[in-house]
Amino acid sequence: MNIMPMLIRRELWEHRALWVVPLLIAALIVVAAMFPHASMQIDAEDVASPQKYMDLFALFHSAMTVPQLLLLSVLLPYYLLDCLYAERKDRSILFWKALPVSDAQTVLSKLLVALAVIPLGVFVLTLFTDAAASGILAVRFHGSPLVRAFLRWDTQAWLHTQGLILGALIVVILWYAPLAAYLMLVSAWAKRSAFLWAVMPPLVAMLIEKIAFGTAYIARFLGYRLRISDLLGLNHGAGRAAVAAGEHASGMLDRMRPWEALANVDLWLGLAAAAALVWLTIRVRRHQSDS
Amino acid sequence: MTQIIKAQGLTKSYGSLRALDSVSFDVEVGRIVGLIGPNGAGKTTALKAILGLIPFEGELVVMGKNPYMERDSIMRDVCFIADVAVMPRWLRVHQALDFVAAVQPRFERARAEGFLAKTDIKNSSRVRELSKGMVTQLHLALILAIDARLLVLDEPTLGLDLLFRRQFYDTLLNDYFDKERTIVITTHQVEEIENLLTDVIFIQRGRIALANSVEDLGTRYVQLTATAEQARLARQLQPFYERAVFGRVVLFFDGRSPQELQQFGEIRTPSIADLFVAKMQGEAA
Repeated sequence: MNIMPMLIRRELWEHRALWVVPLLIAALIVVAAMFPHASMQIDAEDVASPQKYMDLFALFHSAMTVPQLLLLSVLLPYYLLDCLYAERKDRSILFWKALPVSDAQTVLSKLLVALAVIPLGVFVLTLFTDAAASGILAVRFHGSPLVRAFLRWDTQAWLHTQGLILGALIVVILWYAPLAAYLMLVSAWAKRSAFLWAVMPPLVAMLIEKIAFGTAYIARFLGYRLRISDLLGLNHGAGRAAVAAGEHASGMLDRMRPWEALANVDLWLGLAAAAALVWLTIRVRRHQSDS
Repeated sequence: MTQIIKAQGLTKSYGSLRALDSVSFDVEVGRIVGLIGPNGAGKTTALKAILGLIPFEGELVVMGKNPYMERDSIMRDVCFIADVAVMPRWLRVHQALDFVAAVQPRFERARAEGFLAKTDIKNSSRVRELSKGMVTQLHLALILAIDARLLVLDEPTLGLDLLFRRQFYDTLLNDYFDKERTIVITTHQVEEIENLLTDVIFIQRGRIALANSVEDLGTRYVQLTATAEQARLARQLQPFYERAVFGRVVLFFDGRSPQELQQFGEIRTPSIADLFVAKMQGEAA
């Protein structure tokens, strides 16, 4: 019997913010598209250039998509820190553990929610939001220069932009997987104030390193693991030079090569660390009852 | 007879405290076993070990398996109601039914819905909206609809009023228990389950003070009520506990025949509650 779909539904029952908040934001975007105060000045030359059009098109559609995905960087860490902590706080762990569901199934279902179900679900939601909002705008501004500027529908360009965003999303998820697993471990282990237990150890380690050796390797390492602009190729020489040359920011999206990050050995080392942390989380959860 | 639980030298320490100190006991199929002891005696620890909720030392086999290593597989055949309402407060009644139906192959949903129909619990209610008695009813409806072999109850009626408690045990006996099933129940309100039990295990400070079937208690233990004068003579037969009641003395004997004792006064089989007090106080003295 495959119980994973039910375990995932259980998570969505308990942590309703995971899907209610993205739905609210999506509704807000669509409603906002109905009442736009557009006062954009478009130069005739700008619109005439196909490259400029592509840039504006990509910028517009990522503006419809990316904010909802960025929201996940708040929702998901909160969820991960709570998911194995709440059941011990309210003692409901005794109810869940009295059912024939293994600790591995429980932990993996929560990880799956954080790293696949919610991010990919919200991505699909953004596609609908974007399509609906830009459809509404295109109808409202029929015949205006805005349509010529970036509201004219171009399926191929749209798929290209969304493909890049999806690629970046997947790479970012894989890159942050060890962080997610770490938060779950803290959630399974902390007796109280899971947030402090998640934040204090790295801070204390950084402080001790600074005082004892006067170095900042830990801080630099954490900074490296938390930053994703390098990973997505946004900070590489070409990108930086382009920005320095005053090129339009939207050009950056075009130069993004998310799949190249899969060649980064640190990404795979991170996934190995994540697997080890998940294994540890399962061990800890097996050990936990209500006291 | 087949044993559903077998503990041999079961030990559990929390730091320097030995919650269970090399405890050995068996539970046979088709029995209702009362695990009785004062607060902090190790009852709940023993149950948690049986349920695979805590690691332990020594040997413990539940339905042929190590519960800690194989909790999820054992839980197909075991049900558990804890000493406090542990149903998550955010859960809705219909969600609880959906969830248990999906993960527990032995769950019969229609049966649970039948139990719930007899209560005031609404399908769309959240647990947090229910009274404590209703939460217990809900939990019981879920548990009794599972065709389990072993039911473990830890102070199941704690904090419930008398009506709910009666109803709880009536349902348990009438709608659930049969010769195929086994129930292990802990409580410190002995009187309440006295008539239910087929076996008793007294546990004190992590050790077993007594483990007997209820039939055997009658042949083994005798309670004698005598005057102070007669009691002096009866003391030569080594009672393990005595107390004074209204100017008379009540003495408890282990392994003495009624014929031996009836010359000193009134004799009878002690109630489990009286025997429990006698055993606990006697050991402590």
